[in-house]
Amino acid sequence: MNAPVKPDALNLGARPISAPEPIIRFERLGKTYAGRSGQQAVAALSGIDLAVPAGAIVGVIGRSGAGKSTLIRLVNGLERATAGRLVIEGEEVTALNEAGWRRRRREIGMIFQHFNLLSSRTVFDNVALPLEIAGTPKAAIADKVERLLALVGLADKHGRYPAELSGGQKQRVGIARALATDPKVLLCDEATSALDPETTKAILALLRQVNRELGITILLITHEIPVIKEICDRVAVIEGGRIVEEGETFAVFTNPQHPTTARFVEAVTGVEVPAHLAGRIRAEGRPGDDIVLRVTFTGENATAPVISRLSAVVGVDVNILAGRIDAIAGRPFGSLLVSIPSRVPESEAVLGALRNLGLKAEVVGHVS
Amino acid sequence: MSPEIIRLIGQATLDTLSMVAVAAGIGTLIGLPLGVFLATSKRGELFAAPALNAALGVLVNATRSTPFIILVVAIIPFTRLVAGTSIGTTAAIVPLTVACIPFIARLIEGAVREVDQGLVEAARAMGATPVQIVRKVLVPEALPAIVLGLTLAIVSLIGFSAMVGAVGGGGLGDLGIRYGYQRFMPEVMATVVAVLIVLVQLVQSIGDRLARRLNKRLRHG
Repeated sequence: MNAPVKPDALNLGARPISAPEPIIRFERLGKTYAGRSGQQAVAALSGIDLAVPAGAIVGVIGRSGAGKSTLIRLVNGLERATAGRLVIEGEEVTALNEAGWRRRRREIGMIFQHFNLLSSRTVFDNVALPLEIAGTPKAAIADKVERLLALVGLADKHGRYPAELSGGQKQRVGIARALATDPKVLLCDEATSALDPETTKAILALLRQVNRELGITILLITHEIPVIKEICDRVAVIEGGRIVEEGETFAVFTNPQHPTTARFVEAVTGVEVPAHLAGRIRAEGRPGDDIVLRVTFTGENATAPVISRLSAVVGVDVNILAGRIDAIAGRPFGSLLVSIPSRVPESEAVLGALRNLGLKAEVVGHVS
Repeated sequence: MSPEIIRLIGQATLDTLSMVAVAAGIGTLIGLPLGVFLATSKRGELFAAPALNAALGVLVNATRSTPFIILVVAIIPFTRLVAGTSIGTTAAIVPLTVACIPFIARLIEGAVREVDQGLVEAARAMGATPVQIVRKVLVPEALPAIVLGLTLAIVSLIGFSAMVGAVGGGGLGDLGIRYGYQRFMPEVMATVVAVLIVLVQLVQSIGDRLARRLNKRLRHG
């Protein structure tokens, strides 16, 4: 009866786990705007390679002008690529004509920074619009719209006009509208950039719920690193029309490779040397100084009682100068700034113990 | 004033109202689509046809820059073709209509251009066709401004209609000139002006009220 589960039995049938086809695949995609008379052509995007796995939340982060807005509009054909291939659900869409794109767009929802709700329509009629456009019968529209409004928590607002709603409520209407035609993909164009932090959190929670419960793949663009940290499984960093770094959010945040990425993630992962110490830190140590270390905790180590264990095992006093513990893409991450005595046996022992625990430790400097 | 004069003023008011109503009706029927097209046919727009847009723009400007009284005379052959005659109240409707089409078209163009392009983008992202975008987004969103524009057009038409007396058009303006001025009856002139003021006031306040009711961008009780 209770036979041990063999590792093989955990494999889900014949489906290869390694590389399922992504729902959206950019292949060397480029977009160049033809120059008007006498002006140079402008390359907005070049050589974009990006795979959006089905069911994932993928974020593209970059400063304004980096090309992220063009990138997201390529996915629903509001902008047309001038180079490379774009494959959505196995169909190459780069070659679609306008009619083909209209059909495709009904399977892709989109929400906007400024919501783009029709001021002349009630909440109900705004959500109904994509269904009217698709030619859905009236009775089916009413049923669908009421369910969507319940999903986004606005069932009591269906007769209101957008002008009567708060920013967060408007974006909820935007989300309900984007979901009306049962899309498989939801595009979010700076969807929380016009909202205050509290409302941003609530909207992100709703997006995550939509992703989890309805299995909708989300591709979002933002310039706000907290948005990536909060909900994105994967992140791509875009600069000057190119993707400079891409990967799992946690890996990219904890080990950024590109300077632009490092600057972005510093805001949520970095720990500054406190002002009163910053002026006293020297690169070279003198006898009797303390060593200042930056210790980075990732994954399960982030919550381990490392400092107390160090003190107990190595017998060295570890002084905490600054630190933060946070969650990135749902996984704990911490960064601590500590000082330890620079005397040789003790400092060696501490660094050795940190290595043994699998923690990253770098020497920031010395302080007397 | 004699009962006869009062009857004449009543008849003239009805003539003015009917000329303005028919001209405004036909003018809107043609001016609305023309205005929407002007607002959506430049390079890169929904119905991009830059050459046609430019040509229509020139035609509209040419009609609008021709003084109305010259237009009335200049298109007499066309008026005769359409109305069968070139004099009388019915015939006067033709130049009034011709004059108000480009005026209405420009007002509608302005109103439609005021609609947030983000809404057009949102509708395109839903898979809407250009015609659906016009019918479900551009016109409904521009409606308050369109109503104000049409109100302005009707008020202008009431003014223009005073000039069609030159071709036997009848109406309040004609009465004012013939009785008030040429027959030295200042009380007729004053009454005609008073009726015109009341008409314009009435049209403007109805238009304002309708536009305000249609405008859902403002919060109201």
